[in-house]
Amino acid sequence: MQQSSGTIQTDHTHSALPLIEKLKSLGLSLPLLICLTLLGLAPLFIQDEYILRLLVISLYFGSQALTFDFTGGYINAVNFGFAAFAGLGAYAAALVAIHTGLGAWAGLLMGALITGLVGFFTGLLTLRLRGIYVSLMSWFVGMTLMALATALEDVTRGARGLIVPPIYENATTTVYFYILFCIFLVVFVILRLIIHSRIGLAFRAIGQNFEAAQASGVNPTRYKLLNFTISSACAGLFGGFYAHYVGIITPDVMNMGYTMEIMALAFIGGSGSLLGGVFAAFLLIPIFDSLKYLMDYRLILYGLLLILVMIFYPAGLAGLYQTVIQKIKLAIKKQRPAS
Amino acid sequence: MDPSTTANLLLTGLLRGGLYALMAVGLALVFGVMNICHFAHGEYYVLGAYAAYFAYVTYGLDPIASIIIAAMLSFLAGVVTDKLLFSPLRKRSKGDWVVNAFLLTAGLSVVLQNVYRQVFGMRYRGITQYWNASIKLLGMNVSADRVIAFCIALLAIAALWVFLQKTRPGRAIRAVSQDEQGAVLLGINLDSIHTLTFALGSMLAGLGGASLLSLSPAYPFGGNKPLIASWFVVTIAGLGNVQGAIIGGLIVGLFESVSYFYLGQGWQDVASLGLLILLLLFKPTGLFGTQIKSVWER
Repeated sequence: MQQSSGTIQTDHTHSALPLIEKLKSLGLSLPLLICLTLLGLAPLFIQDEYILRLLVISLYFGSQALTFDFTGGYINAVNFGFAAFAGLGAYAAALVAIHTGLGAWAGLLMGALITGLVGFFTGLLTLRLRGIYVSLMSWFVGMTLMALATALEDVTRGARGLIVPPIYENATTTVYFYILFCIFLVVFVILRLIIHSRIGLAFRAIGQNFEAAQASGVNPTRYKLLNFTISSACAGLFGGFYAHYVGIITPDVMNMGYTMEIMALAFIGGSGSLLGGVFAAFLLIPIFDSLKYLMDYRLILYGLLLILVMIFYPAGLAGLYQTVIQKIKLAIKKQRPAS
Repeated sequence: MDPSTTANLLLTGLLRGGLYALMAVGLALVFGVMNICHFAHGEYYVLGAYAAYFAYVTYGLDPIASIIIAAMLSFLAGVVTDKLLFSPLRKRSKGDWVVNAFLLTAGLSVVLQNVYRQVFGMRYRGITQYWNASIKLLGMNVSADRVIAFCIALLAIAALWVFLQKTRPGRAIRAVSQDEQGAVLLGINLDSIHTLTFALGSMLAGLGGASLLSLSPAYPFGGNKPLIASWFVVTIAGLGNVQGAIIGGLIVGLFESVSYFYLGQGWQDVASLGLLILLLLFKPTGLFGTQIKSVWER
């Protein structure tokens, strides 16, 4: 879908490959493009419903981990009510799709908008304070949302579950996969562009050294608020997709367990790497899912992995990848002068 | 509202508040000394409840003995946790301690909850009462268990206060909370103080779980509610403020019983959140918090 933007560029050093250069500036480097192409083509060759569903779920959790990392990995603020924020998006999208004639896509946008607003106000109250306050507040907000989703039976049907119509009539898992894939690509490119702009520089400065960032003229609260609002909105957007995909939502979608899962994926993938969580999701979710006896121990394993990563290897999978790449480059450099 | 309802609400609120204060004091202590936002605090509460259940029901021990054993086990669990997890993290952490330690406790919470679930199953393990008696208070019959649990909470807090004020290890804990580097210069062993602090915090939580066994049975996810309540208390009182946590606990207990009576489940959470929002708007340092530096000092 990016290919259409391949205009001719002359001032590039690698002018032979303007398209690749252009894509690279969007964050789609060559190894990543290969991965994405493989992933994008996979459903064309896979007929097995189980594997297709696994792909959708992995991509869903990967997308949420990406969104989580945008905040957690850059401005050092942990959204501890993340699943509830996503659940709010899910309910908003579902209610719009059910009660208005605007269709599923308007619902998704509405979900993003409402969740973004809740994120904005949560951040407005807490982001000027010490980092832990935003975690606490989003946790409390999340629990209140869950309690409300259970209590407001007239609107949400409580624990009996709200039945959500499909995005399109007779949409297959493959269709859902491509919808999610497109949303994921758009969100990734946008988040990645932000991270590599001046705004992203400010994010990282705030995350690494709050006082120094403040001293160099960055208004930390404003940037943090921007970041938190964006990631909340994205969480709501993906949540809305999830509502349509699973077809029925209960207040359990806001369960703390999902926050933990997404958080663990993001940090196992590597804090501040954006894509680390996506790779972690595609690595871990199929493993846990295919080994049925592991399902019961899933959360224990996630928790243990999170603990181990925190203590022994905070750089996560992304750090591992960087180290390996550097080692390979070094080895190549060493060989060249010899040959 | 007739007087008996008022008395009922007041009593339930206060008795509940005692437990919240006990849990919140442990939380504030761990935060103030170790700078850990402890998210697995509720799991030590559940551990205490399980330990008391097995001591009392399976081994037929005396109630007081069961509660003491539960508190000791939670203390031990705290020692093991610190040695196994926080101590290596302290050695390896480079400046991002607060977030890393917080995430570590979050992971620990998930692990412990699901381990309890695998080991003990989803069954509720409770008892009807420790003491077959009731006490007349404000014209109402209150089961002895609740009153004794409240007294245990107050006693434990008082004992902790004496410990922090009068004993050498207690004074060392306060010294570390005020100035870590200064404490090291005085020859205080940071590692053992951190371990002691974490163990004390866990013990307070375990004590709460054990003494309230007849009201809230041992259950793998039973730690969530006390955890939420105690974090609420600590946020309201001011992070790391131990004295504030005591009064805060009683206030939150009262607030919850009143708002539950008028609003019911679901909306009660909204009321709590509303209270928190007001506080963050007008007094973000908490009701009693000034500066977050020392424990039991202001």
